[in-house]
Amino acid sequence: MSFETQQKELRDLCAALLRDGAVESVIGFGERSDSCCVCPPIAAKREKDAGKLAWNSRCVPNLAPYLPLRGKTAIVAKPCDARAVVNLIVERQIPRESVRIIGMDCAGMTGADGNPLRACAECGERRAPVADDIIANEISSRRELEDTRGEYSAKRFKDEMKKCILCFSCRQACYGCYCQTCFADRVLPNWQPAEPGFGAKMTYHLGRAMHLAGRCVECGACENACASGVDVRYIIRGVTEFIEKEYGFRAGIDIEASPVMQSCSMDDRNVGFWGGDERE
Amino acid sequence: MEDRVVWKRAPVIIAFLCNWCSYAGADLAGTSRQQYPPSVRVIRVPCSGRVNPIYIIKALADGADGVMVSGCHPGDCHYLAGNMYARRRFAVLKKLLEISGMEPDRVHFTWVSASEGTRFAEVVRDVTDKVRALGPNALADGGSRYEL
Ligand code: SF4
Ligand code: SF4
Repeated sequence: MSFETQQKELRDLCAALLRDGAVESVIGFGERSDSCCVCPPIAAKREKDAGKLAWNSRCVPNLAPYLPLRGKTAIVAKPCDARAVVNLIVERQIPRESVRIIGMDCAGMTGADGNPLRACAECGERRAPVADDIIANEISSRRELEDTRGEYSAKRFKDEMKKCILCFSCRQACYGCYCQTCFADRVLPNWQPAEPGFGAKMTYHLGRAMHLAGRCVECGACENACASGVDVRYIIRGVTEFIEKEYGFRAGIDIEASPVMQSCSMDDRNVGFWGGDERE
Repeated sequence: MEDRVVWKRAPVIIAFLCNWCSYAGADLAGTSRQQYPPSVRVIRVPCSGRVNPIYIIKALADGADGVMVSGCHPGDCHYLAGNMYARRRFAVLKKLLEISGMEPDRVHFTWVSASEGTRFAEVVRDVTDKVRALGPNALADGGSRYEL
């Protein structure tokens, strides 16, 4: 099985869904206009549009931010996109009935140069954990990963921040950044200093990382969107790992879960508190 | 840290204190004449759960040498569970600051009840000592704020 057979299966499925009226539209990837571009998102609303859906190694964007469309929508979802959709349902942003997840087995996407994207190289997910349809591929087993975390130091953070131009593309690309007004855009109170110095970048990136704690699905949309090549994700990744270890929560795996930062327990430990980690 | 920690001014520590416990605890420390350093700038909040992590990040970005947050002991929250939501948030924030290379001793969370004036004084003394040992926040006084 390959991209072509998966693409054919996908088109057949979507044509059937649209013909039967099972869904009103399908959000998917369209053909790219140029070999260096990523596949743009398209919405297929009629049966004949299903033939425009593409599935290849450049289906890079995360389509979850385009939800919800009017009426029941099917979404072509890589494992990370499917996790994003599940987390949007968990956070009550979209009703479960309004979306049909078409889970595409995914071996990872590539950049314009043909090399795997950083997030995809670090990803062990091969099949959507929750999906209504699965378009299978034989690569569906989970992969063992090498440790690519690197060191956590002030120097690394500063070096990444030096490259950032505070364009907020990473926020725009992220499925999790759906607030109507981002704290970085607020005027009263004005969290974000106007001058693009280290303080402003630190406030933005640490604030955003805090907001994505326990919600990041490691899709890499933020770093793919960054024109300056900032590794925006490594701090969020560290936090995600901490939450997984400490609270046993991974975003977008369980559709019945309650969001980890909106829950609490008497049994939580005082991690990093003054006077030690003792349980009260 | 390096041995050449130079302070040209007193350390500034922003303290977010819960109205129902730690703020009263600080009051008690005062009325019972407990000695503690005048480094803390107290901001009264209705609950430790009201402390948005961005307050802490912003305080550090704007040059505070240290931040402490103190609320009611778990189980004693005036709003039942505000401090327990805060506990997760603070654990994660502390981890995040550690990952991004901020000295972990700049930010402290603790529980101080209204009857623990002595504990409050002890916390402030200890937090001030730890911050003093780290030296001034590099982002303060226009320091590296304009460098990048
Ligand atoms: S923070 Fe980045 S990797 Fe995580 S969900 Fe958002 S866009 Fe994806
Ligand atoms: S996309 Fe890159 S340059 Fe733009 S704000 Fe995010 S990290 Fe900074």
